[in-house]
Amino acid sequence: MSSEEPTDSSSADGEPPVTDGGTESDSGVDAPATGGFDQKATNTVDPEIPDDSILRGRNVVKEYETGDQIVRALKGIGFGIAPGDFVAVVGPSGSGKSTLLNLLGLLDVPTRGEVTLEGTDVAEFDDAERTSRRKEVIGFVFQSFYLIPTLTAVENVEMPRMLDRTPKQTRQRATELLERVGLGDRLDHYPDELSGGQKQRVAIARSLINDPELLLADEPTGNLDRDTGDQILDLFDELREEEGVAVVTVTHDDYVAEAADRVVNLIDGELRESGDHAHHGDSDGTHQNTADGGEPGGSVGTDGGGGETE
Amino acid sequence: MSLLRRLTAQVPTVVLARRNVARAKTRSVLAVLAIVIGVVAIGGIGVGGEAFKQDQLSAYENFGGTATVSPVFYEDQPELRTFDEQEIQQISQAADSAAVVPIRRANGLIRGPDGDTIIFASALGIDDPSRFYETEAGEIPPNFERVAVVGAAFAESNGVSVGDQVRVGGEVDESFRVAGIIRQQGNGDPLSADRSVFIPNTVFDRDGYDEVILQANVQVAGIESVSESVRSQMNQRQDRVRVTTSASRQEQQEQQFEIINQFLLGISAISLLVAAVTIANTMLMSAIEREGEIGVLRAVGYSKFAVVRLLVAESTLLGVVGVAIGAPVALGIGAVANQLLVGNPLAFTATGLSYIGVGVVFGVLTALVGGLYPAWRAANKRPVEALG
Repeated sequence: MSSEEPTDSSSADGEPPVTDGGTESDSGVDAPATGGFDQKATNTVDPEIPDDSILRGRNVVKEYETGDQIVRALKGIGFGIAPGDFVAVVGPSGSGKSTLLNLLGLLDVPTRGEVTLEGTDVAEFDDAERTSRRKEVIGFVFQSFYLIPTLTAVENVEMPRMLDRTPKQTRQRATELLERVGLGDRLDHYPDELSGGQKQRVAIARSLINDPELLLADEPTGNLDRDTGDQILDLFDELREEEGVAVVTVTHDDYVAEAADRVVNLIDGELRESGDHAHHGDSDGTHQNTADGGEPGGSVGTDGGGGETE
Repeated sequence: MSLLRRLTAQVPTVVLARRNVARAKTRSVLAVLAIVIGVVAIGGIGVGGEAFKQDQLSAYENFGGTATVSPVFYEDQPELRTFDEQEIQQISQAADSAAVVPIRRANGLIRGPDGDTIIFASALGIDDPSRFYETEAGEIPPNFERVAVVGAAFAESNGVSVGDQVRVGGEVDESFRVAGIIRQQGNGDPLSADRSVFIPNTVFDRDGYDEVILQANVQVAGIESVSESVRSQMNQRQDRVRVTTSASRQEQQEQQFEIINQFLLGISAISLLVAAVTIANTMLMSAIEREGEIGVLRAVGYSKFAVVRLLVAESTLLGVVGVAIGAPVALGIGAVANQLLVGNPLAFTATGLSYIGVGVVFGVLTALVGGLYPAWRAANKRPVEALG
């Protein structure tokens, strides 16, 4: 493949060619290597992953084509998420966090390896099935809230179920959820009448409208002050304890990471033990002291990255 | 839960669409305006054209039961160029109950009161113009001799008023006092009275007549049977006459109107095409602006189809609003045209109204189609990219 050489040379320069990926690599070298991870991952990860996992990943590789380069955002990782888990994924920008979150959220499918949702390989779903499974199982909390400005707080919470033609039940549930996040008095406020913390709480209420099993939160406290962030984290704890909702969050914030059961470092598309990658130099790397990837109930495995060049 | 909310909850897509359309007000107003223009163009031209047609064809009312008989002649028989008295008699017999009005067409120039030559006008000899015409000024004397009556357009464009002198040159070569001005007739008149000077047949110094108008007495026989009778009687040995009923003339003219109308409607259809482009552009901008929001919809479980439906509902809503404004405006324009041309603002014809209907249907369809591509594009954007 002719694209290998420029790819390799740019790698040697130490310049990641694309922002969202890790490093690129040539498929000629990687194909056998991936096979190797496959086994490693299967062997090392499987025993760690509990059987009741909502989502499970094995040897997950995600590549993007950018021009004539292939960017490998995830380099063969394994994971499993059990009910009630609270996992924080930390890592420098461009380490593949967003890619991982998209795979966990069924917004994307892996290039190789498999992601299974309650035992079914998500690659078997077509777009419509993936959409409906996503709706049933996963709640999203986005970094910038993404509330719809034309809808009131309660309507925003209802939004995922708005087309379900069960307006009464939906309204009731939405109202309950807003009351639960402490916004019972803000039902009819529009997003621009709410503070950042209130918006985030509306967004969390929205993510819960379909009683998800897994909550994916992208920088859930990113735009909030510490007190408000605490409220959000308390809410996560409550949800896990009372309803067994698993929470996976991508964060730059140590504070969130400290609150999590497990912290996973994602660096250059690989999951690593915490502390391994302080030398990467990214400011985020220094935040990972709290990570403890080897927790007994821990279900996040990694290939160890032995075969990868950096 | 209020009744309104219960109702709107049944069509959540429309509720969402309405709020989204209301969000970018200026942009939505401009898109709506494009549809309004298209609907007004189609509806207004359709209704206005119908009013114009009614006006023009109203001239046929006076000639409803008439036909024009013209001689058929050949180069080598110049004597057959006109009907002689004997032929007029034959035509009268064949026409039976119908009245026979012989007409002479004067050659030679017509000069106005100030002596200027008047072109694009003709002088016609007739025994009694009051058989077909009424005047808007002056009168047609019961005994039509030594005076002229002129058409409305002739009088207006040449500044001729009652009492003025009009000179007909050539074979007649005589001046006439204008006794009356005939009310406007339109193009349907077989004698083109608007641009004519009527003078008595008696001033001609010849026997032959250039054509004959038949006027049926409809209680006895319709103009078609009279025409057929004259045709068969006169054309026994060779083709001597050509008989054209006003109905067939009317038909021809209606066809011409039809062609013109369709041409104009074609042009206004282009304005709807432009509206479609405007809507598509509006929706593309809107979809791009709201990429993240649409990504969220997809992420929280809205199917591609639901997103397409939402955006198409938005564009269709723009069309519906445009049509709701445009159709009354087109009706108003039609009412004005009716008032001006027919004299009754409510003189809508079924055809005229159907043009407004066409404008309404195409206005909405245009907006719907204009929204399809942007909607499809937005729905197919991977949520990953939209949220990134």
